[in-house]
Amino acid sequence: MQELKIQKMPVELRPDLSMWKLEGELGPESIARIQAEFELVLDSKQNFLIAEMSGVTQVSSAAIGQLMGCRQLLSERGGDLVITGVSLDIKSKLSAMGATKIFKFYNELRSAINAYHWEVERKAEKVGLSFPPELQFVPPVRQMVSRIARQKGYSHRDSFRIETIVDEICNNAVEHGSEKVKKNIDLTVQINREKIELEVANASDPDKIENLRAVSSSLSKPPTADAGQRRGRGLALIKMLSNNLDINFSGEGTSVHVTKLREE
Amino acid sequence: MDSQIELEYDDIKGHADTKMVRFIGDLDATNVETVLEKICNLFNDGYINIIADFKKLRYVNSTGLGILLHFSKSAKEKNGSFKIANVNENVYEIIEIIGATTLLEIYDEVDEAVAALK
Amino acid sequence: MDSEQPRVFKVKFPSDLDYVGPIRKFVAETLGVSKFSPKFAYRSEVIVDEICHNAITHGSRTADAAVEIECRIFSDRFEFQVNDQGGKKDDIERLKKAMKKADVQASDFPEENDGRGLGLEIVRLLSEEIKMEIGDDNMTTVRVVRKREDA
Repeated sequence: MQELKIQKMPVELRPDLSMWKLEGELGPESIARIQAEFELVLDSKQNFLIAEMSGVTQVSSAAIGQLMGCRQLLSERGGDLVITGVSLDIKSKLSAMGATKIFKFYNELRSAINAYHWEVERKAEKVGLSFPPELQFVPPVRQMVSRIARQKGYSHRDSFRIETIVDEICNNAVEHGSEKVKKNIDLTVQINREKIELEVANASDPDKIENLRAVSSSLSKPPTADAGQRRGRGLALIKMLSNNLDINFSGEGTSVHVTKLREE
Repeated sequence: MDSQIELEYDDIKGHADTKMVRFIGDLDATNVETVLEKICNLFNDGYINIIADFKKLRYVNSTGLGILLHFSKSAKEKNGSFKIANVNENVYEIIEIIGATTLLEIYDEVDEAVAALK
Repeated sequence: MDSEQPRVFKVKFPSDLDYVGPIRKFVAETLGVSKFSPKFAYRSEVIVDEICHNAITHGSRTADAAVEIECRIFSDRFEFQVNDQGGKKDDIERLKKAMKKADVQASDFPEENDGRGLGLEIVRLLSEEIKMEIGDDNMTTVRVVRKREDA
């Protein structure tokens, strides 16, 4: 029988988080050790614990039950105990024990830390994209942003609205873009659990800026069915779907900044 | 969070220990854990044979391949099988270039996979 | 000298597997729009997936690490590059070995690896050219070239 080793280690990527590296057999005889080590975790007032289990060769329901108890205590304090690195064989056994319904599992330490950033610290994540100013590339761009929102847990409906916003602001950037300076369009996405912020910047010709300024100022008026108002309707649509819309004009170009709160 | 994959299940008439599972979407690193759990649940419920219908499986990467190999191994350990059917050309190419066609039981159609059950 | 100006796309995203799906599909769709065949786009999608996955799991040494990709679409080829901040010394060595390795088969890898190791091999088999550069402080760039089938 390979006795369980529990090594408390700093998390290289996040020194403020706790990690246990477990190696050997997680049998009933390891319960006392787990309890003793866990008391040290509680004393240190760290509420988020990562159990790295790539070195675990056997699991017993008693020991897993003990870990579940640890997790319960941490969760009462607003924290969690998550598991990383488990082999497929061990994962299958844990699944049979029902452990996969209780714990969150991650293949890699980084995934556990990313989840901590997102769920607990509610950090925003940033994506920067640069693409050629051609209309044909707008559908892949808008679908990418929509998929990112879906992946991050936004609803289908919210993701669809986001896709529409991206479509309109990117189409505007292409259509109002400079014909002389064929510079890529820059799109920045900042997303967290509560909202998404989108910014599109492009090079513009002075006469197109004037058109856009006129359209932008007409946003305060109700939209009409006038066919000549197509561009205005696009911006009006963005305004209706989002919580904030800012358009900035400068000598070199235009930037459009949209904020949309997560609704569902 | 998982990228989009769904599993749908059907029983196979005359084979109480067999489940058909339709994979719909993409099988990649973000959802292998979910798929692993669902298939393990089937094994735990006594289904030793799984027929995976890949007709609507658009995409698989190396992590997805790894999980398929694991299912194959797990089923054999239970004296069962993990059979795959209706693999699209793109997915098959990835399985083939890495030499996994000899490690996985692959059939053109679900009926052929069913007929091959012991 | 190549006088054709390619269409250039750049994406910088957090070192998080959640982004790989949307990014790889984005690359495939831009290739589709650029009149590359669906098969070409699919194979390229697989390459993007595997290389980005590798950059995230083995090439990100800080909590706020990011991955940058650059795609250059020419009329006759697709060039794809991924930059990451580099991993630990043994991650770099493993990557170097994987680049040089002769054909590896799935049977060489135990299932417990979850397919690890297969990924770079798939990239090698699908690409005409693959290069790796390691700069200062382990900054790693992997560059892949795929030629259009009928070019």
